[in-house]
Amino acid sequence: MSLKAVKTLLEDNAKRTWNPLGVRESSCSEWARGLNLPERGETLLYTGCLYQMVPYIESFSKMLKKLESLGGTIFSVSLKLTIGLRRIGIDLSKILMIGVSKERYHRILRNIATSLRQAGVEFAYLREEPYNGVLYHDLGMDKLFEVQAMRIADKIKASGAKRVITVDPHTTYSLRQLIPEFVDDWNVEVVHYLELLHSKGYRGSPKGGVVAIHDPCYLARWNGILEEPRSLLESMSVEVREPEFTKKFTGCCGGPIESLFPTLASTIAEKRLHELKETGANRVVVMCPICLTNLGREAGKLGMEVLDLAEFLG
Amino acid sequence: MDISDVSKLLVKASRDPVLRTGLDRGISSYWKKRKAVLERYPYVLDLAEEVRRIKEDSVARMEELVNMAVESVERQGGRAYVAKTADEARRIIGEVVGTGKTIVKAKSMTTEELKLREYLIEMGNEVYETDLGEFLIQFLKTKPMHFISPAIHITREKVAEFLREFMKVEVDKDDIEGMVALVRKFLRDKYFRADVGISGANVFSADGGLFLIENESNIRLSISLPEKHIAVVGMEKVVPTMEDAWKVVEVITRFGGYKVTSYVSLVRGPAAENDLGPKEYHVIFLDNGRLNASKDPVLKETLYCLRCGACQYMCPVFGVVGGFWAGLSSAYSGGIGVMWEYITEDEVQASYHAFACLLCGRCKEACPMKIDQPKVLREIRKRLMEKL
Ligand code: SF4
Repeated sequence: MSLKAVKTLLEDNAKRTWNPLGVRESSCSEWARGLNLPERGETLLYTGCLYQMVPYIESFSKMLKKLESLGGTIFSVSLKLTIGLRRIGIDLSKILMIGVSKERYHRILRNIATSLRQAGVEFAYLREEPYNGVLYHDLGMDKLFEVQAMRIADKIKASGAKRVITVDPHTTYSLRQLIPEFVDDWNVEVVHYLELLHSKGYRGSPKGGVVAIHDPCYLARWNGILEEPRSLLESMSVEVREPEFTKKFTGCCGGPIESLFPTLASTIAEKRLHELKETGANRVVVMCPICLTNLGREAGKLGMEVLDLAEFLG
Repeated sequence: MDISDVSKLLVKASRDPVLRTGLDRGISSYWKKRKAVLERYPYVLDLAEEVRRIKEDSVARMEELVNMAVESVERQGGRAYVAKTADEARRIIGEVVGTGKTIVKAKSMTTEELKLREYLIEMGNEVYETDLGEFLIQFLKTKPMHFISPAIHITREKVAEFLREFMKVEVDKDDIEGMVALVRKFLRDKYFRADVGISGANVFSADGGLFLIENESNIRLSISLPEKHIAVVGMEKVVPTMEDAWKVVEVITRFGGYKVTSYVSLVRGPAAENDLGPKEYHVIFLDNGRLNASKDPVLKETLYCLRCGACQYMCPVFGVVGGFWAGLSSAYSGGIGVMWEYITEDEVQASYHAFACLLCGRCKEACPMKIDQPKVLREIRKRLMEKL
């Protein structure tokens, strides 16, 4: 695999669609259809498009793993091919997505939106939602991240928002810690939906059952959100079991390196699932789209199931 | 060199069941010890914060402190050298040692960085690693996988097989004490025969004290029986005072997972005319990229590292690939290993290996110095990406 080829692909997709996998901003906001959300307001729900990208990441990762098993050169060739194909008008992200459903991820976002409303929170949304840019930052592509950060900041400011509600740990961290580093006069309050539901004393409807809780690294360590998911689950009468490595010492799902090291990412996910299985629970609850996909992919082998906390909110 | 090379290497490591068994055993035992130690000595968390400030100050004053240390060593009758590069350090040590000598070595990552053992053997010397883990590393011809547990990847089954072959005796794989005794017996006369003892340093106080921490007593023997003692000290190891150094010692041992460390040696100079002990004491302060790093706003954090190994045990990538991460040609391992490699060894290899970090931050949580490895590794990525 060639790092240079990855860089070229990301830059190319970013230039064309403002998204590393070529997902359009208009399709990022599909989840909001039929919810009658306003486009302007003091409070804005901004998803960062991460949940929506999961099905794309899934297909992309499947392709990567196949290519990785075929060897490095093939990968670079196919990346070039990808760019070439697109130049003659074929869009990779569309091919990848043939027969893949986005329904699950839209439902997650709708559940979050509905719960917030039930808790008495009013909010707007962006009709064209920009990607959160985190992959660029992770890979050290700061120039690309800076451009994306400014785009996000502009759109959020233009919506009239003074407060932004986020739904995943990476976007939350980015808006709180990274955007201020790259964008001038960014003074928007950032609140994660779990923090907001918690502060409103929101209680979900009773669900019962037992889950092993997997704290996403960015939620627990980088944002310090620990008690909110637990108390929300308890309010729904869900029994929460803690693995040996939990809270600030939670174990990573492996997801962050899946674009460059897909096989290794799976191995790490599998090891983490074994730790979670030791709790005796076969259901795992996560609060992050990256954990959801990376753990979810390996869970079947171990007879386990991985759910996002927001899936309990329905 | 490209990402595919890193990926191939790490995938291969992750599929080695012997390596995984070793890592699983090592990690779970560390985690238990760590919890017990921090429960019993909760004050070391505050002490660690204090040591972080000591290290920040020391690294900012690195050159000044090393000069003070050089003066102290010389004043106490030793010889001190500052080596700019690995080559220079090897040349100095080579001259002090000569050829046809027997050398006993204490465990030291900095000498691994110099590939010193290989160099001295090449020069026609006999060299023995006296730390049990390092002894295995030497004769099984592998790399140290971890700062504290270099042989974490070598299972007792493997050790038994090796000893059977090496010592030509029957060995029971479940009799760990028996195996340890065999190696000890083999090493015993080496200490007495040795002309030179070589050690690293855990911390060095600028007012003239070399501190060495150990559990096996092999360091004490290595640095007191031979006529010459050579110590190799990374420049980042120097702190202002003895008192600071003791604090560092305490933090290293606690975060290494020990409730107590059996021995701490403090060396101030050569033995006096009619006393027992080495008559020659040589201290080599090694730069090899450290001084430049100390002036780099992001990289300098690496130099606060105490090499306690906590972050390696806690890293999810290390947990499945061990010291393959950073590359087998590097002395160093894991995310912190990539950082050290970038500063002191192979910048290109380190840059590609930097991409295997999850940026998950459990290392930072575990680290007594709260070193932000994700931040440094991301910076290394950035510097490579800008060049591509
Ligand atoms: S980075 Fe921190 S935890 Fe890791 S070896 Fe150094 S001091 Fe120990």
